[in-house]
Amino acid sequence: MFKKSLLAGIVLSLGLSTAVQAGEYPSKAITIVVPSKAGGSTDRTARLFTELAEKNYEGFEFVIKHIPGSGGQKGFEAIARAKADGYTIGLNFTPQLVAHIVSKRAKYTLDSFHVMGNVAQDPGIVAVPKDSKIMNMVDLAAAAKAGSLTVAVNGIGSDDFLAAKSFEAAAGVEFNLLPTKGSTEQKAGVLGGHVDAAFMNLSQMIKQHKAGDARIISLLTEERDSHLPEMATSKEQGFDVQMRATRGFVAPAGIDAAIQGQLDDMLTAIMASDEFKANAAKGNIFLLPQSGADYLAYLKGLQADTQAVYDKAPW
Amino acid sequence: MAKKHVDRAVLALLIVMAVLLFNSTAGYTGIALKTSAKYVQFLAVSIGVLSVIQLGFNIFKEQPSVKLKLTDNMGRFVGLLICLVLFAAAFETLGFFIPAAIFIPVVAVLLGYRRPVVIGLTTVGVLIFVYLVFIQLLSVNLPGLEFLGGV
Amino acid sequence: MFEYIQIVFSFEALLTIAIGTVAGVAIGGMPGLTATMAVGLLVPFTYTMDPTMGLMLLGGIYCGAMYGGSIPAILLNTPGTPAAVATAIEGYPMSKQGRGALALKVSVTASFVGGTFSVMILLLFAPFLARQALAFGPAETFLLALMGLAGIVSIADENSSLIKALIAGLIGMIIAVIGTDDMSGSLRYTMGMIELIDGIDFMPALIGLFSMIQMLELAGAHSHAIDTSLIDKQNKREPMPKGISKHIALGSGTGTLIGILPGEGATIAAFISYNFSKRISKVRELFGKGNPEGIAAAEAGNNGCVGGSLVPTLTLGIPGNSVAAALMGAFIIHGMIPGPELFNEYADRTYPFIISMFVANGVFLIVGLTFAPYLARIALIPPAIMVPVVSAFAVLGSYALNNAVFDVYMMIGFALGGLVLKKLGFSLEALILGLILGPIAEGGFTQGMIIGHGSPMIFFESSIAKVMWVIIGVLLIPPLYSYLKSKRT
Repeated sequence: MFKKSLLAGIVLSLGLSTAVQAGEYPSKAITIVVPSKAGGSTDRTARLFTELAEKNYEGFEFVIKHIPGSGGQKGFEAIARAKADGYTIGLNFTPQLVAHIVSKRAKYTLDSFHVMGNVAQDPGIVAVPKDSKIMNMVDLAAAAKAGSLTVAVNGIGSDDFLAAKSFEAAAGVEFNLLPTKGSTEQKAGVLGGHVDAAFMNLSQMIKQHKAGDARIISLLTEERDSHLPEMATSKEQGFDVQMRATRGFVAPAGIDAAIQGQLDDMLTAIMASDEFKANAAKGNIFLLPQSGADYLAYLKGLQADTQAVYDKAPW
Repeated sequence: MAKKHVDRAVLALLIVMAVLLFNSTAGYTGIALKTSAKYVQFLAVSIGVLSVIQLGFNIFKEQPSVKLKLTDNMGRFVGLLICLVLFAAAFETLGFFIPAAIFIPVVAVLLGYRRPVVIGLTTVGVLIFVYLVFIQLLSVNLPGLEFLGGV
Repeated sequence: MFEYIQIVFSFEALLTIAIGTVAGVAIGGMPGLTATMAVGLLVPFTYTMDPTMGLMLLGGIYCGAMYGGSIPAILLNTPGTPAAVATAIEGYPMSKQGRGALALKVSVTASFVGGTFSVMILLLFAPFLARQALAFGPAETFLLALMGLAGIVSIADENSSLIKALIAGLIGMIIAVIGTDDMSGSLRYTMGMIELIDGIDFMPALIGLFSMIQMLELAGAHSHAIDTSLIDKQNKREPMPKGISKHIALGSGTGTLIGILPGEGATIAAFISYNFSKRISKVRELFGKGNPEGIAAAEAGNNGCVGGSLVPTLTLGIPGNSVAAALMGAFIIHGMIPGPELFNEYADRTYPFIISMFVANGVFLIVGLTFAPYLARIALIPPAIMVPVVSAFAVLGSYALNNAVFDVYMMIGFALGGLVLKKLGFSLEALILGLILGPIAEGGFTQGMIIGHGSPMIFFESSIAKVMWVIIGVLLIPPLYSYLKSKRT
């Protein structure tokens, strides 16, 4: 793949180019910006797509470019800045995409992107150590009222942090918040009983919950999740706290409509295929296919919600 | 420049930095005031105190005046540095391969090497190695010939 | 168990392990190419492979890279990984004395023993040890970082100024403060640069402070050829030093134990093992001047982390370091989510993977011992050729870490600033130790303070913490005592 493009480059540099003809898309590999490290869940989501796209669509080749760092901000900015020629698209993840806008750090806005659609999600959860007395969200609120609870969240401004803040507001309590570097530290904190509770994501704790090493006490989604159907949502337990991480595709705004349409349709078609679903299930990725328009609406709503939290307690 | 003067200047700089660092912790917010700020203050105080002690030793202890010599051969030293900076500057637009193909022979000649065959073979060897390991094996995205619009 | 051994000893599997291990040695040996990066980038590649083979490939890379870092550390004073910095302190002086081949032999033997011991522990006691390690919280992590930082005193005593070494360590810790404050999410000292939001990566610093400075010094030196008569003496094959096994055993145990604990273990493990070995050595005065005992302990220590770090990774899904985290991605991509399932439902993949790491250790032992006399001749390559090649790799390695040219400038900056500090007598080993351990210390301290609701008593409460304070005392008091004694006379 790379060999071919390098060869093409050499051919071009010699002025012998005849291969590239106007109006023929794609004439070269399409770069997918992944704003996180290789091997992470966002990377795996991107590969799920490229694997089938290269197989089922002749002429399409994809190169994955990792731009990790700053909670995805560097990568998001690279996508927003990229030339809108249809040869650079990228992945985004929420709520970081909008959190950077809200905290005024980002050099982009939602208008910088054409939202192609959502692929995957990861519901928010609340987990406690296995021998904790806290069995549900009511217990959690009561315990927090009785005395200061140490609650781990994955960094300030993360989805966990926003969820914890939103629970504090809903239950009228205040946690002793412990910001960690990454979900690994949260996991170690819960499994080792160093914290009283943690706001996390389902995929990070589902195995530990099933193995009895930790206990999930609530899902932070609108409805119950098929991966853990017996688990009650926070809303059912009387606290309207909702948070989920999503991972979708975006492109720089301003790509030629015909080309963009081709890419959007491709994403929709691949997400609908059974092979895609099977691969995702195997790779522990929870799917949530959404069209570009629906996902954009979700992002706008999320930005407004995040803004509200930020205005109350900026970070 | 005499070594002891540079030493004193560096220590003085560290003391200034320590004070600035300590003062900056006043600007920390929320929980950071009780946690990170304490850590940074500890660092600032430690480096400040140690630098003052060392500066004291330095001033009150008789020392032979030795010149601070970064290198024996200033020309080659500075030459290598300039080549490095140019290499870095060219990286974004020209990628790795073209600048490296120039950098390696230029530096070799700069350092007094005069056997073109060895230089040529080494350069080609490095480029092939990097191509195989980085691009073929690891699929790292080295910026390439993007300015030609071809890759 | 026998069927798992059979899987490992198929031709295909052996070939995969050998390729992975040799590639790992090369990756670890090159400044800027890290095992974390290689494993991370190859995880998607293994997606299309047979899962067991894919994991064996990555396991081989992990084992090989941890050892590979020591080769350039010994020969060129350019550690390929931060865990090999302690090895360079002893290895490079040995190289200069023409004893490079022996240093390489000691390093590969110690790496093999440390690696094999830790994989044995992983195979036999993983679930039990992982549960014990959970008791290790942020407060204990802070103390572990302190134990590592105690190495600064050990680097300094006797030959250079203790105060300057401490200052250098603090400079490293202060540089590490730059970036996002994890506690408040606000930015500290980033000067508005987006590149600094995540702080300063230690790899460009490592490359700049060691590889690049070494090249700048070589470039500016009058005569740099190592005395060839010294190298020829090597061919007489110096035997392994007596009493070295004690230091290897010490490093293996320390490394495995520290590997099991959370945090970036290998660097800490190497320095603590090095420090321990210096304390028990009968020829302490030779440390810093080319003592093979230091190499033995440090290399056994960092390779001990390999098996150790996989203990919590495989049993609990809590990776012990960043390479283990990348490896965990490879398990997940094949639907093998860490936990008890790995050892029953997926036992036919997990056990062969663990067993394959014994083979990987054997592979690099054979490769290392066979090539040691030839590798030692790398030191004979004329500097005029060595300098441009290593410099080009230094630039490439700094860039490839984050795909950022900014890191290349950072590397050059560290080289220049570091050279001035080095000439003034500040220890760069102490600086890099501070830079790497600073964030671990800060994370442990700040999180411990929160968990302790603002009371520092949490750092003294648990029995683990008490034991650790005793060890810190043992590491600090004797060198400080001898330092003060030497000051008075």
